Amino acid sequence: MINAGPADAVSAAGGASLVLGGVSSGYGAVSIVKGVSLAIRPGESVALLGKNGMGKTTLLKTILGLVALRAGSVAIDGRSVAGLPPAKLVALGVGYAPQEQPLFQDLSIRDNLRLALASDRLLPGALERVFGYFPFLRDRLSQRAGTLSGGEQKMLILARALMLRPRLLLIDEISEGLQPSVVDRIAAALQAERAANGTSLLIVEQNLDFALRVANRWAALKLGEIDDEGSVDGDARARILCHLSV
Amino acid sequence: MPETIPADAFAAAADGRPRLARAAPLVVTVLAAAALWVAPLVLDTFAVNVLTRSMIYAVLAVTVDLLWGFAGILTFGQAAFFGVGAYATAMLLTAQGGAPHWMAAAILLAVAAPVLLGLAVGWLSFYHRSTALYASVISLVVPIVVTQGIYSGGERTGSSSGLVGFDVLPLEIEGFFRLAAFLLVAVTLAAWILVRSDAGRMLVALRDNEARCAYLGLNPRRLQIGLTAALAGVAGLAGFVFANASGVVAPENAGFLFGTELVIWVALGGRGTLIGPVLGTIAIDYLAANLSGDLPFLWQLLLGTAFVAIIILLPGGLAELARRAWGALPRGQRPAFAPRLRAEPSHAAERTEAPLLTVRGLAKSYGSLTVLENIDVTIRAGELVSLVGPNGAGKTTLMRCLSDGTEPFRGAIAVGGVSTTGLTPNRIVALGVGRKFQVASVFESLSVADCLRLARASRAGLSPLARAETLALPQAVLDILRMTGLDAVLAEPARLLSHGQKQALELAMVVALEPRLILLDEPTAGLTKAERTTIGTVLKGLTADLGIAVVLVEHDLDFVREISSRIVVLHQGRLVLDGTVDEVVGSELVRTIYAGGGHD
Amino acid sequence: MIGAKPFAPTRIGTMLLILDILTTAAILFVVAIGLLAVFGVLKIINFAHGAWLTVGAYCAVVTAKLGLNPWAALPLAFAVGAALGGLAELFIIRPLYRRPLDAILATWGLGIVVGQLITLAFGRDVQLTPNLVSGTVDVFGTGYSAYRLVALLAALVVGAAFALVIERTRLGLSARAVIMNETLARSLGLDTARVRLVVFMIGAGLAALAGVLLTPLTSVDPTMGVGWLIGAFMLVMVADTSFLALAAACLVFGAAQVLVSTFVSPVLGGIAVAVLAALVLRISPKGFSRA
Repeated sequence: MINAGPADAVSAAGGASLVLGGVSSGYGAVSIVKGVSLAIRPGESVALLGKNGMGKTTLLKTILGLVALRAGSVAIDGRSVAGLPPAKLVALGVGYAPQEQPLFQDLSIRDNLRLALASDRLLPGALERVFGYFPFLRDRLSQRAGTLSGGEQKMLILARALMLRPRLLLIDEISEGLQPSVVDRIAAALQAERAANGTSLLIVEQNLDFALRVANRWAALKLGEIDDEGSVDGDARARILCHLSV
Repeated sequence: MPETIPADAFAAAADGRPRLARAAPLVVTVLAAAALWVAPLVLDTFAVNVLTRSMIYAVLAVTVDLLWGFAGILTFGQAAFFGVGAYATAMLLTAQGGAPHWMAAAILLAVAAPVLLGLAVGWLSFYHRSTALYASVISLVVPIVVTQGIYSGGERTGSSSGLVGFDVLPLEIEGFFRLAAFLLVAVTLAAWILVRSDAGRMLVALRDNEARCAYLGLNPRRLQIGLTAALAGVAGLAGFVFANASGVVAPENAGFLFGTELVIWVALGGRGTLIGPVLGTIAIDYLAANLSGDLPFLWQLLLGTAFVAIIILLPGGLAELARRAWGALPRGQRPAFAPRLRAEPSHAAERTEAPLLTVRGLAKSYGSLTVLENIDVTIRAGELVSLVGPNGAGKTTLMRCLSDGTEPFRGAIAVGGVSTTGLTPNRIVALGVGRKFQVASVFESLSVADCLRLARASRAGLSPLARAETLALPQAVLDILRMTGLDAVLAEPARLLSHGQKQALELAMVVALEPRLILLDEPTAGLTKAERTTIGTVLKGLTADLGIAVVLVEHDLDFVREISSRIVVLHQGRLVLDGTVDEVVGSELVRTIYAGGGHD
Repeated sequence: MIGAKPFAPTRIGTMLLILDILTTAAILFVVAIGLLAVFGVLKIINFAHGAWLTVGAYCAVVTAKLGLNPWAALPLAFAVGAALGGLAELFIIRPLYRRPLDAILATWGLGIVVGQLITLAFGRDVQLTPNLVSGTVDVFGTGYSAYRLVALLAALVVGAAFALVIERTRLGLSARAVIMNETLARSLGLDTARVRLVVFMIGAGLAALAGVLLTPLTSVDPTMGVGWLIGAFMLVMVADTSFLALAAACLVFGAAQVLVSTFVSPVLGGIAVAVLAALVLRISPKGFSRA
């Protein structure tokens, strides 16, 4: 009973809205994110693009409350969540798939998935749901997460983020270093989850193809600020490539 | 031909520094010595006896403060060295009597035995990658071992009842009081001079950032062991005086509980202030002697409660409280000290065409995860090589392998033809390799000038007695300071600098080592556009004018394109491309790596 | 520490020696397990651990004074230890999470305070407690202290219960998650502050429980915990965060303690644990946890 998430967050349907107003954050004397404003409507999917070191991961961590907000506002469904600990955001239905050290390598797949839920009571149903997306997990629940291949680990990270049936999903470079076939499976799972629940999505990506498949809007982050943004349409690829290329 | 930088506000202030402040230790010493000389004439016998003991304990507090408050080594072990000194004295005098030559021998033994033990303890406590916690653990074990040694020493150590009735120095109680006072004043003065000197900055540097010390070519391990041994000797000397003044030694004098009491006194008085621990120790020990007769348990309870409260709420101890009160008074601020800068003639080595750095077949893995595979790179003088690649490509790991030969890796790395396998970072620095870290690694509590002085310490040494009035730096460093405005904030503590200034300071420190090769890990992360341009200009100057080779890990590809002479692309631990800027920018492979997954 | 009679190196002597090693290891394990839990999850060294042991032993004293069954001291000690531990975590440990060396000092100061409060309440004299189990048991034809065998059993029970909680419960899973990667645990919505609080309470409760179990073996006085603290601390340093490694360390160093005490000198036996642990750490900084 250590998780703080109330059960009703799980059953609430539909995506949540996220509004960032002039968000700034960083570590120590360093400012990483500098005045980012961004709005995601319920059910919308936004890809945040940009090169390494531009503040994308820090922005996600700031939204979740892992990194302290220094200026600006963060609101979910119109309610300010600035200063709340991650546990409270998870209780509001925010799911997170981190990029760095994203799994408990020495815990079993089952325990990794269990940790996403507040109570084991919800476990069987949630497991069934994610088995629907990633059937390979069903037979390997007792295997240590660290023994999975790179692609399987990424799928487990996403499965764990989906356990709660989140209303807003924050995903950090889930496609990094993956074979196209795995990228396809992950994209399919995300599309299916959004189709079923209207989940709002904020994905940080460097893989342009993947980003354009799952997102309906994009924003490019440069040196901690939003440099450019637009809808995913005909000229999106060309415009984004300007921001990503050497 | 020393060229003096145009005097700025701080440098000018240094000249006008009042003579009184410079002489403060001497003035205080003379006053304290005079007062302590007279004191036994006006105090009653009880007070004289107690204060004699308190002052000896205060000597130990000074050593604990130097180790913990200044050098950051939390130690419970000073009691053991004190006990060894006291027992060495008592055992020798018991066996041989107190003839003058045996007394002299007792002093020598009381210092030499703890120094030897200190060397052993230091060797055990400090090694490459040892942790502060481990040193504290060892310092707990030492007093326990010494105490058990005393218990099992039988007749020679008096076992649990200790030794009593040995010959002592032929002094009255006033004499012992003055002897203890003399020792305390002398040790405190020496410690005061040391911590105010340039060498004293070294202690703080060790506490702030041991890794940076090593990457400035200093050997942190040797310094810590030396400090431990030297202060063990001082504790032993205090043990000699204690054995003589009290005429009795007991196992408790060497025990772990006494070791923790010393730490408590230092914490209450105010760690890192010297005078706080001295006054704190004397006051608490004197109060304890007076109060514990009447309210023994209540006294301990109050002391324990005060200790917990101070640790949580006022880590600087009572000295911190005094300083705040003093700071609240309206009075003139003494300007902070900054030396005058001077250009040092360059020692730069001659440029050769022989490879400076050669990497052959380098591979590294963590368990089953391979991070680097079969890397071959050669770097020559004057090259500016950028290392690029997506996250997880192994760039930072490669930098770590280049600068620390104790990293487990396969393959060969040689600097100027010398293999670095097994070499600790400070020895690789001696080969001419400077490393700048991703997160600026400077000495947060030291001033900008002191950070730079430490960067020169492996070449110029540090004075243990005073602060040098000038600071000689290579012209390239002076240029960096001028371009980044650091020359105007020489007296400012590094922790108050902006992120960009810290990065520039670290770069200046690395250049001050006069390296042949500089490794830079994301020097522009989090910098403004103007700051990036400045860093770029500096790096170009270093390579073009001085022939220094630079290896740069960088995410900002615009920056890389502007300054590099060569670009090396890593992807998933392998070197996929090594070519000119044009070759890499035009490469379809690189475009794929950056825009897509990299497998397609 | 734990007295060991010298034996002639006969077969029975060897068996008794092995029994001594097992029971010594069992007692070390019971004493150190609470410290291990706290070190693993909170990443601080709890120097008040000795004080919790003392508190537990005085719970046995109180139980006897109230005329209750001596075994009632066990639940009482666990409850009192956990309650005091909870207060200590909230008011002393929590402000010092980012200053681990200061946490050592503050918990040491807390130990002094607890010790003096006990002294004020009970005096500094040695207290007598009723034996939980008295007499001897016939082992291989020789009388062996029945209580030491009970202590061995108690260690097995405590170890098994601890393993069960760690491996099988939600709390155990949360604690392991915090040990392995606290940031990730937080980002998944775990209330890590509460995990720390609960684990600290359990650690203090286990220490107090161990204090009750120690009463027949050692004299009960306000400073009794200090002697056990250093040994337990060194064992935890060597075991890092693994309780299996702790069990192994207790066996190895317990054996060293018994053998040195028996064949060399009891005084040296008393420091065998600390010295050997320090050397092990010097050679292999991760201690036994890698095995």
